[in-house]
Amino acid sequence: MADRLLFSKTGRARYISHLDLMRTFQRAFARAKIPIKHTEGFHPHPFVSIALPLSVGYSSQCEILEFGLLEGTDPLEVPERLTAAMPEGITVHQCYPAQRKLKELAFVNYIMSFEYPEGRPQECEPALAELLGRESLVVQKKSNKSKKGYTEVDLISLIREWSAECQSDAMAVSMVVSAQNPGLNPELIRAAFCETYPQFSPQFVSFHRREILDQEGKIFR
Amino acid sequence: MNRTLEQILPKVQKPARYTGGEYNAVVKDRREVDLRYALCFPDTYEIGMSNLGCRILYGVMNQEKGVWCERCYAPWGDMEEAMRREGLLLYGLESGDPIADFNIIGFSLGYEMAYTNVLNMLDLAGLPLRSEDRPQLTPLVVAGGTCCYNPEPLAPFVDFFVLGEGEEVTLEYIELYRQAREECWTKEEFLQEAARIPGIYVPSFYEPVYHSDGTLAEMRIQEGSGAPERVTKRVVQDMDKSYFPVKTIIPSTEIVHDRVMLELFRGCIRGCRFCQAGYVYRPVRNRSPQLLAQYGKAACEDSGYQEMTLSSLSSTDYPCLLELCDDLLDYCAPRDIGLSLPSLRADTFSMNLMERLQRVRKGGLTFAPEAGTQRLRDAINKNLREEDLMQSVRTAFAGGWSGVKLYFMLGLPTETDEDVRGIADLARKVYFAWRECTPNKARGVRITVSTSWFVPKPHTAFQWDAQIPVEEYQRRVDLLRDELKRDKSITYNWHDPQTSYLEAIFSRGDRRLADVLERAWEQGAKMDSWSEYFDFDRWMKAFQDCGLDGDFYAHRERGREEVFPWCRIDPMVTTDFLWHEREKCYQSQTTPDCRTRCSGCGANRLLKGGVCNG
Repeated sequence: MADRLLFSKTGRARYISHLDLMRTFQRAFARAKIPIKHTEGFHPHPFVSIALPLSVGYSSQCEILEFGLLEGTDPLEVPERLTAAMPEGITVHQCYPAQRKLKELAFVNYIMSFEYPEGRPQECEPALAELLGRESLVVQKKSNKSKKGYTEVDLISLIREWSAECQSDAMAVSMVVSAQNPGLNPELIRAAFCETYPQFSPQFVSFHRREILDQEGKIFR
Repeated sequence: MNRTLEQILPKVQKPARYTGGEYNAVVKDRREVDLRYALCFPDTYEIGMSNLGCRILYGVMNQEKGVWCERCYAPWGDMEEAMRREGLLLYGLESGDPIADFNIIGFSLGYEMAYTNVLNMLDLAGLPLRSEDRPQLTPLVVAGGTCCYNPEPLAPFVDFFVLGEGEEVTLEYIELYRQAREECWTKEEFLQEAARIPGIYVPSFYEPVYHSDGTLAEMRIQEGSGAPERVTKRVVQDMDKSYFPVKTIIPSTEIVHDRVMLELFRGCIRGCRFCQAGYVYRPVRNRSPQLLAQYGKAACEDSGYQEMTLSSLSSTDYPCLLELCDDLLDYCAPRDIGLSLPSLRADTFSMNLMERLQRVRKGGLTFAPEAGTQRLRDAINKNLREEDLMQSVRTAFAGGWSGVKLYFMLGLPTETDEDVRGIADLARKVYFAWRECTPNKARGVRITVSTSWFVPKPHTAFQWDAQIPVEEYQRRVDLLRDELKRDKSITYNWHDPQTSYLEAIFSRGDRRLADVLERAWEQGAKMDSWSEYFDFDRWMKAFQDCGLDGDFYAHRERGREEVFPWCRIDPMVTTDFLWHEREKCYQSQTTPDCRTRCSGCGANRLLKGGVCNG
């Protein structure tokens, strides 16, 4: 099986798009002089694949990239050497041979920070609880495959658990949601909240991917 | 990162353009620098980051202790709107600090259609547009780049212009600025001293005086300013000793020229009479092939790029090209690194060279015959013979290439309908060459003919000539289109005339055009090289509002004795030489290239020893 990297993407690097990030990794491996496997075919290129694409603007401390390490490089050296060849904000933590299949990756834990610089309304937490406590919450989601241009998803069925922690000017919502097939982008939750409770709309919401989990809710690597 | 910026970025297109933080971006400790420099490129990040000159200056400045040079680009419309709405001032990408607080703000001016972006960026920075409304020494607003060979349309906005190559003079004026700050000089005092540095043009020391017919009477030197009669451009004496950006910023998002750029030499031996770069970048100075091979390899290693391009005005004129290519290919081929030459002259394009490049990857081929007949090519001194072009395309087609782009200009001095039809003939001959030589007819061929509308430029042999009227240009486009419409394998593209007309106005314009620029900007003009933003009517309205006639600048032939707005600027190619070249054009006579015989243009005087190494 392939090799994996565990890396984080924070700060300025949050705004690097998925495709740009793959290109950045390909170049960074070359810069760090870490030879990796190439694709076969007419235009061979270094093979890299990111397990769960992250939306532009989100930060993460648990990104996984698959690639193939060629002989001659000690995997233990990879994190340090690769991080040195990266743009600011990308830190490689681990390099290891894959043990489990990517499809076992079932859930993602996101932290959504609802920011209210002018003071958090008391009722925003109960409002969120009301919304997420419903039987179902069907929203429209953009889709290129559907003829209508969108598909309908029930957010409630994709949320495994959530909790909120409140401060005077913010509400931090920790949420464990389905990772893939289908995955849930927490932006949809923000949008549904702001639509249902416009009076509690925060000025800004930031998104952070904190952990990836398997079906049992254990950390996936 | 700034909170406001953090909240804006998720909502704009391609936010990675606005964050900085790329690999090799230089971040210094604010407490350890005394000079903050904003190197601004008046176009998008993707365009500006592709500019080799800016990469060189960035490296040169950041090597200096105490100097922190940061980059700044024109934000796209959605970002600009968000910045204005949230009150976020234009900032340096490295620090995120507002550039209005920097010591020096430098613009790189490569093309006229970016002028409104200069004004827009000053405004986004929160600075007054006009130099006279910025009475303090700090921040200084300076500009360099090819457009500065006629700086007059931007003169009221810029404190001083830098002529020629910036590697040395930039550090000289930074040093002078430090002294000025130390000794509390006024801006005026600083500018007087700066004007003594060779290569620096302080526009406020030259006052345009006009005749009643609107032509210039003189560019009067302000008394007591000590400004020189003529400002001579700067050149690097020894390319082997000049800075090369081996370690350079690798963007985290795609830019236009996303590859290693290896600058072989400066200047050009050819002397095409329409070409401003060919005249103002003289004399030719080569880098040694050993050094280039070393730079090229090191740049690949440091960047991780899988592509390298040899970039110079006419790369195939590099004397050691085969040797260099072999050396680089030995490195590139086993690593799957592509090597390309963006500028090919058909005459020197040998089978040998092509095979070398093909060893790795096969791109498209582009030739610029510029004119359709030998007569007109001789008149513009594009010393390219049809036989040579045909020989080159035959070789290329036989080698399996199946796409050729041919670039031409319409409206060159002395052009007739026969010359226009000659373009179609030449394209057809190229097509027949393909039929004759291709090993694989089933694959088909793509021949693209592109024409632009000739823009006469300052400091060229055609600086006196008129741009042909737009109706006439359109007629010639139609004529050529008619000629080519039956040829299914030939695609014809022509350049929209509106921007070429404005280029013709601003490239040879005087200081009065500053009002037009400002007016057009007030009415919303920006990003004028982008069709999404360009609005010709807005520009015509601005001319009307300012009581100026664009045709006066674009379509008027000038006399030998006319005083030009750029008469104080000296690229060291003499006016007599240019005039002589123009006369030879009208006699369809060629001038040999610099290597065959020195034509005495005068640029050799820029070199110690007075001999070019063309």
